[in-house]
Amino acid sequence: MFRLNPLTLENLKRFRSLRRGYWSFIIMMLLIFLSLVAELFVNSRALVVRYDSKLYFPVYGAIIPGARFGLGYDYETDYRQLKKQLSGNSRGDFVIMPPIPYNPYETDFIDGSYPPFPPSIERRHFLGTDRTGRDIAARLIYGFRISIIFSLILLVFNYAIGISVGSLMGYLGGRFDLFFQRIIEIWNNIPYLYAIIIISSIIIPNFFSLLGIMIFFGWIGITWYMRTAVYSEREREYVLAAKAMGASTFRIIAKHIIPNTLSVIITFIPFAVAGGITALTALDYLGFGLAPPVPSWGQLLAEASQYNIAAPWIGISVITALVIVLSMVTFIGESVREAYDPKKFTTYE
Amino acid sequence: MVRDMSEKILEVQSLKMHFPVKGGVVRKVRGYVYALDGVSFSMSPGETLGIVGESGCGKTTLGRTIISLYRPTDGTVTFRNRIISDMRQKDLLPLRRNFQMIFQDPYDSLNSRHTVRYILEEPFIIHGTGDRKEREKSIRSLLDMVGLPSGSLNRYPHEFSGGQRQRIGIARAIALRPELVICDEPVSALDVSIQSQILNLLMDLQNELNLTYLFISHDLTVVHHVSDRVAVMYLGRIVELADADTIYKSPAHPYTQALISAIPEPDPLSERERIVLQGTVPSPVNRPAGCFFHPRCPRAEKICREIYPEAANCTKGNIEHYAVCHFAKEENR
Repeated sequence: MFRLNPLTLENLKRFRSLRRGYWSFIIMMLLIFLSLVAELFVNSRALVVRYDSKLYFPVYGAIIPGARFGLGYDYETDYRQLKKQLSGNSRGDFVIMPPIPYNPYETDFIDGSYPPFPPSIERRHFLGTDRTGRDIAARLIYGFRISIIFSLILLVFNYAIGISVGSLMGYLGGRFDLFFQRIIEIWNNIPYLYAIIIISSIIIPNFFSLLGIMIFFGWIGITWYMRTAVYSEREREYVLAAKAMGASTFRIIAKHIIPNTLSVIITFIPFAVAGGITALTALDYLGFGLAPPVPSWGQLLAEASQYNIAAPWIGISVITALVIVLSMVTFIGESVREAYDPKKFTTYE
Repeated sequence: MVRDMSEKILEVQSLKMHFPVKGGVVRKVRGYVYALDGVSFSMSPGETLGIVGESGCGKTTLGRTIISLYRPTDGTVTFRNRIISDMRQKDLLPLRRNFQMIFQDPYDSLNSRHTVRYILEEPFIIHGTGDRKEREKSIRSLLDMVGLPSGSLNRYPHEFSGGQRQRIGIARAIALRPELVICDEPVSALDVSIQSQILNLLMDLQNELNLTYLFISHDLTVVHHVSDRVAVMYLGRIVELADADTIYKSPAHPYTQALISAIPEPDPLSERERIVLQGTVPSPVNRPAGCFFHPRCPRAEKICREIYPEAANCTKGNIEHYAVCHFAKEENR
């Protein structure tokens, strides 16, 4: 059965006692969870439709053609229009729309004027629209989902590669270590945003190819720290004991050394996530990230700088969102680091 | 039980372990630490051979080299007539269960991330012995053998005292029923009051399981207490080897004499002469010419500064006794 090590429990307890980081963590987890089910809050599809005494839940699942609701067309129902039509209806039919009844891709124009439109509660554009009339709140929320998923996947792959290579460097030492030290030094000196910009100008990156490129340059970060941590662990007697027992190199690293370097790994996770979000935003801002029309904070930032004072709601929304998310991740990081600080306690209690 | 005393369980022959000292930008080898420089001895089944010496004399390196944690620079280690010192780790694995090690620092030798159950189960997992049920049974009997309650299984090392931790370390070492156990200063990290308990446990286990001990320590009283024979090491070489009583009553090497004279005497009226050695142990990187001990030796002469002495055979009757000193024979008359 899986049981947490009491030392880990101790760390968790201390993390919980650091209120700022702990609450940031809770809120962050909530935000991630909510963004995963964002379709329920921000969507052009209705949550519930009652038509001809039948209930429909169009949020998840295949599109429902307009003809089903007596709207003479075969493409997807325009639920906002349907809502207007059914509102005067006396048969008890109704449409419940999400709080923000727009998806991040659709454009909403007002006759006789040009977007961006300022925030309007009446039109349900709570944060206004961007220059093509897309809802900013919708794009912020879906953009958050993409960037957080992106940086979490990036983190997993970077760490999987970095931890394996770093552990082997520290444990095996010798030629293997020297070889990868030089590789890492070379890698480190490639300005990786430039490299990505160059690659992006050759191929138009999608989610996975961009991820691939970022992993290619990003794995070295944790490698260096793991190498050092493993280097100091491998001479400890518990490792020698495992060796004397005949344990394989893989077993020694995976079962003995890595659990003892967890504090190094965990401490860097929040900062790596923040780094991932920032990098993706920066690339999108420059126009070398995910290709439009994928909702992204970087593109919103670019628009904000273009419209500046003329449409301040764009800049205010995206910058506030960025600042809040990045500060929360940093708070989490700070608290994790403090919770795992070996100077705060000792095993020789 | 009748033992064939001529049968050797372990033979160490001119074992050398030189660690390179690297320096400079290109990590060039600047010299060597001569941690072991030609150590030879052999052990019979069931005996305890004590190894004593100051810190830095190569005792720990000797133990680690014997169980192939280090690959020796030269020389051989033969276990049960098989040379193990140049085997590949893969080929060595099935033999590993026959020789195990008890480590010095019980705070460092147990992985704080594992439960006692896992620590004791791991040897069985690595060697693929038994199924879950059998292992569980073996683990419980191991705990019983080392005198720990069976409720300890789900606890973590930091919940135990130093003595209890060392018991766990001992249980792990004897888990696979080895023939040879290398005890690398097993009690020196413990309180004096706990030391005797652990020593008694080790001796009980030796009788019960017919173990052979290579007992490394800097504590002469402890070594005398547990050992059948004692080897004294100085700067990577054995300088005297004899049975325990002989080495304590009539040491032949001046270094051994100095060490023995430093043992505190419980009788305040005893008028034993204390030999105080001058200076410190020379660096194992730059060793003195001739006999390594001559700069500190009270009776060094010209020959000592020039020639490293041969091992002199001081054997009396059937008690084997060797001392590496030019004057061992006169000394021991």
